[in-house]
Amino acid sequence: MAETVFHTEKLVKTYHTGGTEVHALSGVDLDLYASELTVLLGPSGSGKSTLLNILGGLDHATSGLVEFRGRNLTTLSDRALTRYRRDHVGFVFQFYNLVPSLTARENVQMVTDIAPNPMSAEEALARVGMSDRIDHFPAELSGGQQQRVAIARAIAKRPEVLLCDEPTGALDSATGVQVLEAIREINEDLGTTAIVITHNAAIQAMAHRVVRFQDGNISSVATNATRIKPSEIVW
Amino acid sequence: MHALDKKLLRDFRRLWGQSLAIALVLACGVMILLTAFGMYRALDDTLEAFYERNEFADVWATAEKAPRPLLSEIVAIEGVQSAEVRVQEYLMLDIPGRAKSATGLALSLPENGEMPVLNVPILRSGRLPDPQATDEVLVTEPFAQANGFALGDRFDALMSGQKRTLTITGTALSPEFVYAIGPGTLMPDDASFGVMWMPEHMLAAAFDMSGAFNTVTLSLSRDASEDRVIDALDDLLSPYGGTGAYGRVDQASHAFVSTEIKQLKNMATILPPVFFGISAFLVNMVIGRIIALERAEIGLLKALGYTDLHIAAHYVLMAGLTAVLGIAIGWVTGGLSARWMAAEYAQYFKFPYLIFNVSYDAYAISGFLALLTAAVGALRSAMGAARLPPAVAMSPPAPPRYKRTLFDRILSRARLSQPSMMIWRSLFRWPVRAAMSTLGLSLAVAIMISVGFFSYSMDKISDIAFNQSNREDTVLLFTKDRALSALEDVRKLPGVMEVEGELYTPAKLRHGHLEKQLSIVTRGPGATLARSIDETGHVVEAEGTGLLITTRVAEVLNLSPGDTVEVEFMTGRRETHILRVAAITEQFFGLGAYMTRDEMAGLTRSQPQISVANITHDPSQDMAFNMAIKDTPMISGAVRVTDMKASFAATLDENISIMNGLFIIVAVLITVGLTYNSARIQLSERARELASLRILGFSNWEVSYVLVGEIMLIAALAQPLGWLIGFGLGHLMAASFTSDLYNIPMVLPPAAYATASLVVLATAFTSVMVVRQRVDRLDLVSVMKTRE
Ligand SMILES: Nc1ncnc2c1ncn2[C@@H]1O[C@H](COP(=O)(O)OP(=O)(O)OP(=O)(O)O)[C@@H](O)[C@H]1O
Ligand SMILES: [Mg+2]
Repeated sequence: MAETVFHTEKLVKTYHTGGTEVHALSGVDLDLYASELTVLLGPSGSGKSTLLNILGGLDHATSGLVEFRGRNLTTLSDRALTRYRRDHVGFVFQFYNLVPSLTARENVQMVTDIAPNPMSAEEALARVGMSDRIDHFPAELSGGQQQRVAIARAIAKRPEVLLCDEPTGALDSATGVQVLEAIREINEDLGTTAIVITHNAAIQAMAHRVVRFQDGNISSVATNATRIKPSEIVW
Repeated sequence: MHALDKKLLRDFRRLWGQSLAIALVLACGVMILLTAFGMYRALDDTLEAFYERNEFADVWATAEKAPRPLLSEIVAIEGVQSAEVRVQEYLMLDIPGRAKSATGLALSLPENGEMPVLNVPILRSGRLPDPQATDEVLVTEPFAQANGFALGDRFDALMSGQKRTLTITGTALSPEFVYAIGPGTLMPDDASFGVMWMPEHMLAAAFDMSGAFNTVTLSLSRDASEDRVIDALDDLLSPYGGTGAYGRVDQASHAFVSTEIKQLKNMATILPPVFFGISAFLVNMVIGRIIALERAEIGLLKALGYTDLHIAAHYVLMAGLTAVLGIAIGWVTGGLSARWMAAEYAQYFKFPYLIFNVSYDAYAISGFLALLTAAVGALRSAMGAARLPPAVAMSPPAPPRYKRTLFDRILSRARLSQPSMMIWRSLFRWPVRAAMSTLGLSLAVAIMISVGFFSYSMDKISDIAFNQSNREDTVLLFTKDRALSALEDVRKLPGVMEVEGELYTPAKLRHGHLEKQLSIVTRGPGATLARSIDETGHVVEAEGTGLLITTRVAEVLNLSPGDTVEVEFMTGRRETHILRVAAITEQFFGLGAYMTRDEMAGLTRSQPQISVANITHDPSQDMAFNMAIKDTPMISGAVRVTDMKASFAATLDENISIMNGLFIIVAVLITVGLTYNSARIQLSERARELASLRILGFSNWEVSYVLVGEIMLIAALAQPLGWLIGFGLGHLMAASFTSDLYNIPMVLPPAAYATASLVVLATAFTSVMVVRQRVDRLDLVSVMKTRE
């Protein structure tokens, strides 16, 4: 049995806006295991991003428990959460979020500058097949290339977990495949635990496990007996 | 270099226009601080060193003729450290090759052939006169230079009616005459006035002062009371015609230099805060906008594990780079201008040397203040950025909430066009920012007005002084007070047309505990050449038993018409009388009090006397007139009022033009800093809105109108406020320049306001038009595509 990386119990996140309460998460119990690639599926507004943000230490839960390798995240201070993100978590976002005034290499260096045990920016970019575009600015890269730089940036610190929020959301199928390919390789080669949010049900076939969301709660968890390669995914 | 630092440098380069606009405003503050502070220090240090090394006296007193043995009693006054007596006389000079006469102030040198003990002249060339010589003099260096004298050159002096040819043995400078101004004149004129030192026996013989003196200078011991020493000295000298001892404050040269020093200090403290304040606001506005634009990047940095401190520091450093640029510009220009000004001052004041220590502390202080300004400006936004929760930072900011207010209802009633509506809405959406921009621009207007008024007030000063009050061509100074019959002798000089006499009587005026020493001027009835003007511009004459006093005297002694004032005459019987203040007169130079000849004669129970003759003369007989007065024994000097008027205008025109030019630049920089940045921010905030308008079919110009209109609306709103602040600031400036030497009136015609407004509005318009070009280049597709 693989080691538990994330463990949540009765996880609740409530937003108060304009007098109404929105239950983004209403009591989520979930375990995620080391070296596993998990896909989160669910309709818009069902709470996927909220969960990912809380797991990644970007946001606080309203109540309930979140543990990272047995460490309670809910009681951590902002400063400790910052440390946690810096040392353990890699993020990939739907809109790449590259700094436009920095080249591909420099965008990755933003992480290697502060991470405790990073790989070199060049190595990280090589892993995502971006060695030939190392000195390009984001504006000079296609969407897929930008997203691969974002993945390089996320993995450069050798994170224990890689959290991806709709990494292919803004990409066409061919580019999407390249990005998913990069995520899978990292998961396999480095044993990085990966969580991928997607709206594309076809992508679930590459996951070890698939978690479905509905109205702030998990509606089902399924384990894939066989996985396919991203290149075999039919979009 | 860290990636974050690279981002910093690249962003800074991308925003160079905005950074430069801010840096220039900041540089102004740094430059003015450096210049004023550097000058203040240079003058102060130089003056102090010169005074200290050359034993500048603390107290002066003159008498008609006092016996030398009195010196031992003077030295014995408690608090006197050392004292020295001398003979000093004004001489009419005839300089070869110079048609007009000149005036010399002759001071006796000690008999032992050494330098005086106090107010030691510093030898610039040659040697002291031989104590036995009968024709040798040491003259002040500027006087020698202005007249083209070399050592060994000669000139004639009328000494007690006898013409003597004097030979120059050397040149010198004295701490007593750092600012050397001839009797009865307003401005230094090195060619027509010089100080000269000669062996005592020469003056004693010529002026019947053997074994006697007419001037005392003394220095005080450390904790002596100046007032008590002055009183004791007055008591000792009064039997010998003492005219009242005075301290450094009333010593002409010192009073002038110290006033100048005080003004520089004022300038170093009043103006820079304005620039730093505006810079802080600009930094705040620009950094605030950058942070709004970079929300997503801030969120990302947080997600990557950068700490709050990292992020706050990043944006504070961005402002810091701007400050560094401003400091660099300010240091270079300030360093240069301080040096340049120092050289100017060295010309103006007669210092033997100028101690211009590069004031590292001024550099440090100005640099520190500029950095602090940037930090203060950036800090709030930077802290806000650091505090953004990462998850929130990543999602785009909620669209600003427009609320329907009373104002909106008025707006919709007004049936404005959509673009006009956008302008007004935006103004009220960010009321603080609009108010601050308005305030900043109004300061630009105010700064111009506060300096611009000088040229108008100088015109008024010149008009009142020369066209209304002193309408004579020349003032002839008598060697001593004379009977009225002397006017008849003056009338006989070639070309003389009108003649009027005036008597100058030193006196102390007291009102309550307030006291002021000045000369009371006595005029004959119906004087038309020298006369007094009241605040309404009408001629006023003292009549009956009334005293006319100038506004400055009225202020200093807290007197109003109808009040009584105690007048102690410092000559003759030295009586004290109580007089009534008849009226207040307007006079912008020095202190003054006026009464009628009859009243003065009545009070002193003596025949009317005169000290000067005011005359007009026929220009065609100038040559003969000039020749004649050089040989008239009773005249010790001639003050050319017409020359004075011309040199007053020339000197001030130059100074005022430089100052006005400088402040126009300053106002332009402030305006550019504010409007360029505001316009850039407007454009960046509204890119989407403006692009939408374009897509909807509005023309480029209709869209530009939104941008230009808002900035110009703010600029227009700033005008009345600027006038108001300028009016106040002008008063502050006028007050800070006002002293016993000058009184600066506030004259602010509509033209002064109009000029300031025109400069600021034109600059604002130009800046916003430069930014407006970007509207033409607005890439409609990409603007609509970007996230934000
Ligand atoms: N900052 C916020 N303030 C108020 N409500 C929020 C906020 N962020 C999210 N929500 C609400 O919480 C719920 C869950 O949002 P979340 O972003 O987790 O959905 P999601 O599953 O990621 O949807 P999508 O697939 O569209 O990204 C939604 O109803 C959303 O409106
Ligand atoms: Mg989402």
